[in-house]
Amino acid sequence: MFYEPDIAVIGGGPAGLMAAVTAAETGATILLLERDGHLGGQLVKQTHKFFGSEKQHASVRGIEIADILSEKLAGLSDRAQVWTGATAIGLYEDGVLTIEHQGRYKKVKPKKIIAATGASEKYLSFPNNDLPGIYGAGAVQTMMNVHGVKPGKRVLMIGAGNIGLIVSYQLLQAGVEVAAIAEGLPTIGGYMVHASKIRRAGVPILTSHTIVRADGTDAVESAVIAKVDPFWNVIAGTEQTIPCDVICIAVGLSPLAELLWQAGCDMLYVKELGGHVPVRNEYLETTVPGLYIAGDLTGIEEASAAMVEGHLAGLEAAASLGFMTESHQEERQDCLEQLRQLRAGPVGEKIRQGVKLTLNQESSREVNHAV
Amino acid sequence: MLYETGIVTDDLLESVLPSPGRRARGPYAIIECFQEIPCNPCTISCPFGAILPMGDINDLPELVPDLCTGCGICAGVCPGLAIFIVDESIGDGRAAISIPYEFVPLPAKGDTVSAVDRAGNHVTDATVTRVSGVKKKGTPLVTLSVPLDLVHQIRFFQQDKQLAVSQPLMTSEKEREDKQSLSEATLICRCEGITIGDVRKLVEEGYTTVDEIKRISRAGMGPCQARTCGPLIADLIARITGVPVEDVEPSAHRPPVKPLPISFFMEEESDVLT
Repeated sequence: MFYEPDIAVIGGGPAGLMAAVTAAETGATILLLERDGHLGGQLVKQTHKFFGSEKQHASVRGIEIADILSEKLAGLSDRAQVWTGATAIGLYEDGVLTIEHQGRYKKVKPKKIIAATGASEKYLSFPNNDLPGIYGAGAVQTMMNVHGVKPGKRVLMIGAGNIGLIVSYQLLQAGVEVAAIAEGLPTIGGYMVHASKIRRAGVPILTSHTIVRADGTDAVESAVIAKVDPFWNVIAGTEQTIPCDVICIAVGLSPLAELLWQAGCDMLYVKELGGHVPVRNEYLETTVPGLYIAGDLTGIEEASAAMVEGHLAGLEAAASLGFMTESHQEERQDCLEQLRQLRAGPVGEKIRQGVKLTLNQESSREVNHAV
Repeated sequence: MLYETGIVTDDLLESVLPSPGRRARGPYAIIECFQEIPCNPCTISCPFGAILPMGDINDLPELVPDLCTGCGICAGVCPGLAIFIVDESIGDGRAAISIPYEFVPLPAKGDTVSAVDRAGNHVTDATVTRVSGVKKKGTPLVTLSVPLDLVHQIRFFQQDKQLAVSQPLMTSEKEREDKQSLSEATLICRCEGITIGDVRKLVEEGYTTVDEIKRISRAGMGPCQARTCGPLIADLIARITGVPVEDVEPSAHRPPVKPLPISFFMEEESDVLT
């Protein structure tokens, strides 16, 4: 009755692509759903070289990684079907997945599901935040790197995490002036090498600063920023006006978990991971059997970790259906080890703490698949 | 300081500078990577084994200056653009610095550029003596000839001198508006036009979950389906009621995840066996 692929992968970003490639390589039939018209997710906007190790394509630009993974998947087209322009709109407790595919309503009933839906941008409420010229950092990247459109002439960036820093740099590369980066925390959240790169290009990074309001008649003409105390209270008298025609908001991401809520997964609010995330075991299976997760949906992290999680979820979902390679054990251990290494340093501390909270102790015992 | 400004400090620089003897002998890499992040391409790239293998991928890179030839391969590989090649051996009070450069157009050999410091401030005019790696996969390296005593101040350059001069960016201004009323009129749900003031009033009336606010005001019922405003409303409820945000009940999530016309569901293809 329903189309029943072995595994449906929801999302064609770094995690979903890796999951689809890995699972298809074991012999499973795959349906990959991507909302956008093309595969790659956020990778296609990443013009910078990736960190990490060779296994996660370090020193390769994100946009090239998208091509590498998409080509691999295309090589598996006898088993892996890709629907672009396909939004998963509902996931029901009986395992039916409903999809809007290029304007048509479709229902499928996959044997297993890997959700790699990614994240959505957080926003800020400040006076006049609806003026034209105020964008999320993702929108600015899409305009510049996908459509080749400059968002404006002079940008004020809010947020000095990796996204704020990278998008500021990309704006400079596109020939757009960046007036300043304001960061509410007392220290820069992103990598120092990114910060140094932007700083030496002449962009001030103002830590302990927040946006007070935007000003303008028909569009943004300036913004008021001010210093904040450790409790985010504006310190009176520190307000300054920054002329700009774009305000770019890069204040973090939230895991995109609607489908998991719908499916009835146990969810947990974990501040360190960006919001509500599904409870899961070490092998990324949620509390709904047969429903796996990977990438930013598991908690906000770098794309390198998303790819490893996709790999792991792909292996596990396929193995649970009997699709297993001889090296299954080693591959799975290697994924866990890569994740451990990526999260081992001081910058991974929050992730380590967050992930620990989400692990379902009950089901985290050794999962062994019957061959 | 580095973590507040993004600017590498003198003591950090000092900690990675080779000995004066080594510096006088010929070109060397200087790795300005001072934060333990998971990254190791430099260690793998060096054909001379001058960057030691890492025990942990989060380790800081460690250069053995006596093995380094200053070839620049690591500088072209580093995703953080944190490696520079410095040659203090050329004499005449001059030095060369090679800078990874990801902007177009690339300068040409012989061009005069404004050499800038780690904060982007003009230090001196400099001549481009070499542009390498353009056709290779690595980041292009632009080599500048600069005065020997300034070489460790200089870490970037601007081709357009106008931009290189650091401009006073901001003018001070006092808040004039009535902050309270301005803030209350701030939009929190853009799709449905609900303001902070609207939500505050409802919370004060006793609606203290995201779902209750949604049902009474329509906040979160527009095209974004609360993806943007949901977390903001939860934060606002938490702030007003003093309940920790993780204890504010989130709104229920039901299919479909985005608004679609009823006609869409009537054209169902339930048995797609492609």
